[in-house]
Amino acid sequence: MHLITKTAFAAAVSLALTGTSWAQTIGPSGETATPSAEVVVADSDIATLKAGNHTAALVWHDQSDFVSAVSAGATDEFARFGIEVVATTNAAFDTAKQRSDIETVLAKEPSIVLALPLDPVASAAAFKEATETGVQLVFLSNVPAGYEHGTHYASIVTDDLFQMGKQAADALAADLGGKGKVGWIFHDATYYVTNQRDNAFKTTIENDYPEMEIVATAGISDPARAEEIANAMLLKHPDLAGVYVTWAGPAEGVLSALRSNGNKSTKIVTLDLSEPIALDMVRGGNVSAIVADEAYELGRAMAASAARGLLGQDSPAFVVAPAITVNADNVQEGWQTSLHRDAPKSLTQ
Amino acid sequence: MQQLLELSRRINLSQYVVYIGFLLIFLFFAITLGDDGFLTQRNLTNIILQTAPTTIMAIGLVFVLAAGEIDLSFGSIVAVAALSSAVILGEYPLFYGVLAGLGVGIAIGFFNGVLVAYLRLPSFLVTLATMGLFAGIARSMTNLRSVPVINESFVGFFGSGSLFGVPSLLLWTLGAVAVGHFVFRETKLGAHVLATGDNPRAAQVSGIKVPRVRLMVMMICGGLAGLAGLLYAGRLQAARYTLGESDLMTVIAAVIIGGTALNGGKGTIIGALVGSLMMGMLNNGLILMGLSVSDQMIVRGVIILIAVAISLRDVNR
Repeated sequence: MHLITKTAFAAAVSLALTGTSWAQTIGPSGETATPSAEVVVADSDIATLKAGNHTAALVWHDQSDFVSAVSAGATDEFARFGIEVVATTNAAFDTAKQRSDIETVLAKEPSIVLALPLDPVASAAAFKEATETGVQLVFLSNVPAGYEHGTHYASIVTDDLFQMGKQAADALAADLGGKGKVGWIFHDATYYVTNQRDNAFKTTIENDYPEMEIVATAGISDPARAEEIANAMLLKHPDLAGVYVTWAGPAEGVLSALRSNGNKSTKIVTLDLSEPIALDMVRGGNVSAIVADEAYELGRAMAASAARGLLGQDSPAFVVAPAITVNADNVQEGWQTSLHRDAPKSLTQ
Repeated sequence: MQQLLELSRRINLSQYVVYIGFLLIFLFFAITLGDDGFLTQRNLTNIILQTAPTTIMAIGLVFVLAAGEIDLSFGSIVAVAALSSAVILGEYPLFYGVLAGLGVGIAIGFFNGVLVAYLRLPSFLVTLATMGLFAGIARSMTNLRSVPVINESFVGFFGSGSLFGVPSLLLWTLGAVAVGHFVFRETKLGAHVLATGDNPRAAQVSGIKVPRVRLMVMMICGGLAGLAGLLYAGRLQAARYTLGESDLMTVIAAVIIGGTALNGGKGTIIGALVGSLMMGMLNNGLILMGLSVSDQMIVRGVIILIAVAISLRDVNR
């Protein structure tokens, strides 16, 4: 038994180290994942939190449906503890602006900062001032290089990235009956979130579906160029049964390429909810499924971890929120679970 | 509104719009956010330090606009310069890193300048193209990876250091403004820049080497963008391909609100400094007000629109 455990551990480590073939979501520094549902504040502690008159700032990387849902989850959870959100910022993927944003919100002396650090290297100096002032920091998805759990931040909270990629592969395989040629459009950048999701899709197809084969791969860094990339891919491989696209933005371009080629047979799976993509799906078009994260739950767990920090309670270093597969049958439920709001009208009419 | 604009024209408000705007916005935030940390020394210092790179880019752009040209590529130059400097600093001492950053900036400015001045291609199109070209180079240089800067003297000089208690970023801002103002107002080059921007043919006839002036302003702008890249690299202790990318509109707005004419012949370095500080203060205050990100963008857009409308009133007459 002992030997088996040890071997399994060694295998897990070697999987983690090879970087492309891990079997589950691991933290940026190899932390094991704790489900977000386990991060909660005890009812008996709420009064203490309310008495503290705490405030929070949200320092985001960008603006999107996803960020809005995370903010809503955090704001609602904070409200339960009497914690007011006093500032929200958007760095528009600019590391320099994010640094300025942090300095600016610190002027309001918040007790908590929830943030998505844009880049492990360039964000290290940016968040230093926040760690020095003793603010409870909870990171979304990324962690600045050299930061330590407990000393510098309370938790990293992220999607179950591996599950998202795996579920996308499973959904495509289910739609195609487990066989066919597949195109893989991945995010061509060193970005922890997309890299883990993209690789999980690839690994799952390679390991679990012997009759499916990834015959075309293409990287994108600019979503606006997705249509050109898809056109080139379809020209070379007109017989693709399915295409994986790294997230919904570029998937819209891929869908547009399929439409302009009159291609009704190639299936698309992608990640993150988007109305145009979901509309094609409910109308029985090319899109077979969208895998989404529970963004609202991410925000809730971030807020809970930060509140636990204020109470002097430890939280797990690395927390993941579940993934859900959304298809034509569960669109309404998918939107509610992921973004905590009704699906757009166009999808349910 | 019409009456207000008429009044502004009569008393030539456009000349002072940046100072009045700056004061009004400052007073507004001071009153509404006085208790929210806006007036703390730390926050006011933050605003000045955060705007250092944009102020320095703005100075370069004043030269270019005053000469009747435009440079849209300076944001990309910032990234290429910062990355070049960071990569060199990984292997070589401070001097070479600084040389690399500034050298790359001036070289790209030279490249833009030759196309604009000697091939007589429109600067708008040249720099629109080189903006994309150098943004691409910045991305491919390190395969989209960020490069850390661990050279402590570099970080001190260009980022977090200070001299006699004055932060280095403030010193760079003041130095660049002082030199820029002097060159622009007191030297032959400054006069030639204005003459070229005002009426290139007349300038040429009166013996000014117009192509040389155009080349010089593009090089000044490139060099200052390189310096801004060094400041970003020092401040973040890292360089990344996104640096400077989002500064284009902020810097153009700062310069125009500051009182520099979009079509040449008129410019002010001090105005650009105040314009840049105003933009920084606006960003800062709107965040402290606790507005949602979308509302921040809307309010900022409206204020810039009003400021630019009043600034350009005089020019467009």
